[in-house]
Amino acid sequence: MSRMLTVLPERCSGCRLCEVVCSINRFGVNNPKKSSIRVIVIYPHPVIRMPIVCRQCKEPKCQENCPTDAIVIKDGYCDIDEEKCISCQQCVMSCPFGAIFLHGDMSAPFKCNLCDGDPQCVKSCPKNALLFIPEHTLGQAHRMASVLKYTKMKEVEYVEKGERKILRYADIESGKEEK
Amino acid sequence: MKIKGGYFKKLLFVDLDKGDARVVNLSDEFCLKYIGGRGFGIKLIWDNQKNYKSPLDPQNLVVVAPGPLSGLYLPSSGKTSFVTMSPATGIYGDSNMGGSFGVELRQAGYDALAIKGKAKKLSYLWIDDDEVEIVENEGLKGKGCLELEGIIKNDLKDDHLRIASIGVAGENLVRFACISADWGRNAGRTGLGAVLGSKNIKAIVIRGSKDLPVFDLKKLKEISDASFEKLKNHKYFTFWQQQGLMSVIDYVNEAGVMPTYNFRDGQFSGAEKINGYEMEAKYKIGDTACFACPMACGNICLVKEGKYSGTVIEGPEYETACMFGPNLGMNNFACILKANALCDDLGIDTISTGNLIGVLIEAQELGLVSEEELGGMRLKWGDEENIIQLIHDIAHRKGIGNILADGSLELLKKFPQLSPILSQVKGLEQSAYDGRAAVSMALGFATSDIGAHHARAWPLAKELEMGKDWGLEQKAELVIYHQTVRPLFDMLGVCRLPWIELGFDENTYAEFYSAVTGVTISMDELLKKSNDLYDVTRAINIKMGISRKDDYPPERCFSTPIPSGPQAGKVIDREEYEKLLTIYYQKRGWDENGQPDMKGIDKKFSDKTLI
Repeated sequence: MSRMLTVLPERCSGCRLCEVVCSINRFGVNNPKKSSIRVIVIYPHPVIRMPIVCRQCKEPKCQENCPTDAIVIKDGYCDIDEEKCISCQQCVMSCPFGAIFLHGDMSAPFKCNLCDGDPQCVKSCPKNALLFIPEHTLGQAHRMASVLKYTKMKEVEYVEKGERKILRYADIESGKEEK
Repeated sequence: MKIKGGYFKKLLFVDLDKGDARVVNLSDEFCLKYIGGRGFGIKLIWDNQKNYKSPLDPQNLVVVAPGPLSGLYLPSSGKTSFVTMSPATGIYGDSNMGGSFGVELRQAGYDALAIKGKAKKLSYLWIDDDEVEIVENEGLKGKGCLELEGIIKNDLKDDHLRIASIGVAGENLVRFACISADWGRNAGRTGLGAVLGSKNIKAIVIRGSKDLPVFDLKKLKEISDASFEKLKNHKYFTFWQQQGLMSVIDYVNEAGVMPTYNFRDGQFSGAEKINGYEMEAKYKIGDTACFACPMACGNICLVKEGKYSGTVIEGPEYETACMFGPNLGMNNFACILKANALCDDLGIDTISTGNLIGVLIEAQELGLVSEEELGGMRLKWGDEENIIQLIHDIAHRKGIGNILADGSLELLKKFPQLSPILSQVKGLEQSAYDGRAAVSMALGFATSDIGAHHARAWPLAKELEMGKDWGLEQKAELVIYHQTVRPLFDMLGVCRLPWIELGFDENTYAEFYSAVTGVTISMDELLKKSNDLYDVTRAINIKMGISRKDDYPPERCFSTPIPSGPQAGKVIDREEYEKLLTIYYQKRGWDENGQPDMKGIDKKFSDKTLI
């Protein structure tokens, strides 16, 4: 089952813990400027905080534009083969999300490699703004919300263990109205 | 002992008179003795006192110092201290901010930055790793802190810069002007913005790229992983993210120690209209956190309708909501947000501003000042229009605002009759807790080294909980403990809120320090250093003429009992306070007049002057 690193910017507080933990795990240093994830904060127009991280595109622009075929896809993620990389920064410029990064100390650009299938940024996020979830579940919150928003619902009140509860169900009768 | 991490051992010294910057190497002994942050600031101010003339003289220093733990993978490591001789009080002053500004300074490779002298024209300081430049830019004159961040990022073509700036108030030398960064993180107290303004420095702009030195990263990660887990599992963790310090409003109001109507009353009838729940329900649009902080106590609020519609603010914090809310008799949360946004953009401290406006309103109510003296202004409690107007007037130094802009001490010179209703200590306006319900809190305000601020000691809850069974000895001891441990957080460059609010074990910080620096140290040893430095700030203040006479809470604490609420009738007994103060001095090893061993301190802290 292939999993996807997903960002929910509405939850992000901009604390940058994902950046720190990434730099530690990836390069063994405490340096948020050497992380493969970056929190972008825009304020006050508009007000948003959003971590930028590689989406592991299935048809990656970085790969398409790499002149030396240094971008390789393995185990569901895209990586930069430093042997082949000539550090021309073509991939950095090609990524539509800006999710490939550079640092003066580094000979090659770097990007998210999903930490061998256990992304540390997801673990460290105190706001659950980063999720690592099965691909097919993407969009399920919206699917669920649209079902629950469906207006032709009826309610039945009942009592369970002394607590008043509501059960909702779709009304067959009102469904008949639509011809 | 040799330091193996935690410090770059570098201080960046900028001399604006000469127009140059140089790196001063810090010895291991220096780093270990002063720890960092506030500690480095104290030493530099102490050494500079012989050159010092007045707070707004170019010879005064501004020290910006994160700590050895700033920017590291551990809870809430985004704190930076700003230290100076305060134009608000004329004595030692400091304030700190969260966000990411200090982290960036560290990443540029410096443990601290000291600025002296005065630039010829309005300028900003541009620190790009090893390259430092003083950039003249008179076009920035009059720009608000928010707008300025955008302008500089655009000019330098980098969205990732960290910028600390002053607003119009700082340029106009308002004595409680603040320094703002990350659109709403403020080093608010003691008028640091005015000191930068007096140096013609509009902003400090930093880009840093370096690895932060850590001796044992593996060990640090181990302790921190467990620490984050502990915090996340705390029962109030989620609630804290939801409301942050705004949750304190209900606690303080229910306890009856809410500054209401200029600290006259202890409970506000409209509190439910300005509390954390009201904020969450109607105004909050997001959480915000300082660097590496899981608690995300910052709230981003937006006014969605009415005459303040469109007001966006990172805040309010408890203090601001209180000082513009109950303290001014205001129950319109939208107006509090507007006042907060204005103060942030103009660059003035919300605590001092709210406090002083409250004084004016009460003064007019009591007939202590006339309408003419206030330039025709007729003030009422909860008077939205005039409050907003006064904020503008203070920052721009117009009319009565021009007098308020010089702070408590000058206001009292002009209107001595305000003395009984002006809540201040040593010239710093009191922050938002009533000192009358707890004598230890009154002592905390009175003996804080910067004036009436709660950051040094907050024994209020403990005393309310302990009631009468709590002796003066214990009260003095708790105040001293707070004044030792709380400043230690400012020295390490971390936030104290995980400890205060979510019960995080303070001993963990000694473990962090040991793992990061490779120097094994206990919490007691760290506290000892912090305590020694409290003697130094006292010594700095003694040299400025401070003595026992200045260590009293505001007059109202003695003269007017709390009129209503659960603490009704409470007032500080003068005799009891005198006793407590004497015990406090004894426990600190200071004499009857509050003077520490000046010769001993001179000797102990006479190590090499750095700059």
